[in-house]
Amino acid sequence: MKGSIGTSLVLHSVLLGWALVSLSSPMQLNVADVEALPVDIVPVESITQMQQGDKKAPLTEKPSVKETKNQKVVENAENAGESDIDLKSPPTPAKKPLKTEAAAAPKPVERPTPTPTDEDNQVKDIVKEETAPKPQEVAALPQPKPEPTPPKPEPTPPKAETPPPTPTPTEAKTEEAPLPDSVPLPAAKPKQEPPKEQAKPVEKPVEKKPDPPKPTETAKADTKATEASKPTDKKEGKKQETAKSSSSKASDFNADQIAALLNKQDASGGGAKRSTSPASTGSTKPSTGSKLSVSEMDALRGQIGKNWSYIAGIEGAEGVVIRVHMRLDQSGMIVGEPEVSSSGGSDTARRTLESSARRAVLRSSPFKNLPADKYDAWSEVIVNFSPSDLDML
Amino acid sequence: MEQVALEAATHDVSLWALFMQAGLIVKMVMIGLMGASVWTWAIVIDKYMSFAKARRQFDQFEQVFWSGQSLEELYRTLGERQNTGLAAIFVAAMREWKKSFERGARSPIGLQMRIDRAMDVTMSREGEAYEARLGSLATIGSAGPFIGLFGTVIGIMTSFQAIAGSKSTNLAVVAPGIAEALLATAIGLVAAIPAVIAYNRFMGEAGKLSSRMEGFADEFSAILSRQIDEKLQPRQAAQ
Repeated sequence: MKGSIGTSLVLHSVLLGWALVSLSSPMQLNVADVEALPVDIVPVESITQMQQGDKKAPLTEKPSVKETKNQKVVENAENAGESDIDLKSPPTPAKKPLKTEAAAAPKPVERPTPTPTDEDNQVKDIVKEETAPKPQEVAALPQPKPEPTPPKPEPTPPKAETPPPTPTPTEAKTEEAPLPDSVPLPAAKPKQEPPKEQAKPVEKPVEKKPDPPKPTETAKADTKATEASKPTDKKEGKKQETAKSSSSKASDFNADQIAALLNKQDASGGGAKRSTSPASTGSTKPSTGSKLSVSEMDALRGQIGKNWSYIAGIEGAEGVVIRVHMRLDQSGMIVGEPEVSSSGGSDTARRTLESSARRAVLRSSPFKNLPADKYDAWSEVIVNFSPSDLDML
Repeated sequence: MEQVALEAATHDVSLWALFMQAGLIVKMVMIGLMGASVWTWAIVIDKYMSFAKARRQFDQFEQVFWSGQSLEELYRTLGERQNTGLAAIFVAAMREWKKSFERGARSPIGLQMRIDRAMDVTMSREGEAYEARLGSLATIGSAGPFIGLFGTVIGIMTSFQAIAGSKSTNLAVVAPGIAEALLATAIGLVAAIPAVIAYNRFMGEAGKLSSRMEGFADEFSAILSRQIDEKLQPRQAAQ
């Protein structure tokens, strides 16, 4: 035993000696000299929430529309502009009247009794098709509105082409006459009817060209027309109502009263929201591009959820997603009727949940705790719900 | 930055430096574990040699025993020596046999029993010798890591206290203390792992040797019982 202890000791001391020599100076850990890479967090809003402002204005940090001279503050105004009534897209009506008026004058002369309403609608459609795309684009940029006046002559030429074949000098006169009055009320839509009708009688062969577009585009046009004809439409309700009323007037058109039909409003900017900062590229609305934070959005959802008497156990309610689209004014009250739509799940569950969602939204107005300075962000809100969310609320 | 680098450079991280930096308890744990390691290897060397020797002796004795040599003669040659293993069992049985016949055995059953007892006693004594010190191997194997861990915990505790005192969590400040503490666990494992392996191995060997002894004892007992019958029958027939 003594011998083995001695052997063991010798072995250990040899091993330790070796370890002391070999492990005494562990290799230095050479850390690679890497320079720290600066990382910037760029909010995605800067890309997704790009806004168009005054194209000609210099680019500044904060997008802003042209400075407004009218300093009369209109409450709840959302669209920038000089007018006293908050309208979203004033230029569209402004353009239509032009063309219509050009053609409008002759109409009463040739046909005292306007054609049946069906025809009218179709005619409207066509006119809209031609004009619609342009006005929409223009509508997005209220600033360029002053400019539209020059383009106006351009749309007219196509129409002018149709007249040329007609040798009647009276029409040419009428066309020329309305042109200077290019700033009529948005109500000029009815006048659109006359040009067509007038054209038809005059040159039927030539008009066939305009006709073909009708069938092709009728689908879109009809829907648009029907929508447009409904005075109850929410967004464009006002404009179209005015248009309608004016149209009814237009039928008994009097050239002497043309001045009365003129749009006295400034053509630029239909909105009434005032802007104090100088014009700059970036925005059509004088907003900051702000966005509701997640917690603010949750607070809003929570308010709706609190008022939601959710009936548990509706069959097929699992996959339902309810989408509530509502407009709010600055006090948090709902403007108009909230639009509720849903998808997934069974039909009955959807219907039940939709109606309960509508009730909950109406009951929970006015919405509180929404940041006033971000009104632009929550003036129009879309909230998505699913039953699983409600369980948590 | 430079200051830290300088500080780190002053820290010696060699084994000896680590050991010297350690606190008293950790030092004691390390020394104890080193001692355990020495002891473990001493036992391993000792056992390895003794088992090899025992196996060799067993083989030699069995060869002699089954060579047809007279058992009396074998007893006479072995009787004077210090015997271990099979030889010890054989000598014990023969001694008992001789004693009984010298005085004239009365009953063959009693004689058989006495011989078996004598062989059992010898066998258990031999077996004990084989398993001696294997218990300490088992203890070192199971307790070594825990002792090392204890040293580590103490070492880390003190190094955390040092951090609290210096109010710096720089790795250069923390690292030596932790390395020193971990050294204790490392030594514990160094001692324990060979101990566990050796324990299992030697327990197996000891079991093999004792079963071999048992086998021999049974066989020898059978031979002796036959001899007893042969020797007693003529006497009974004479009576």
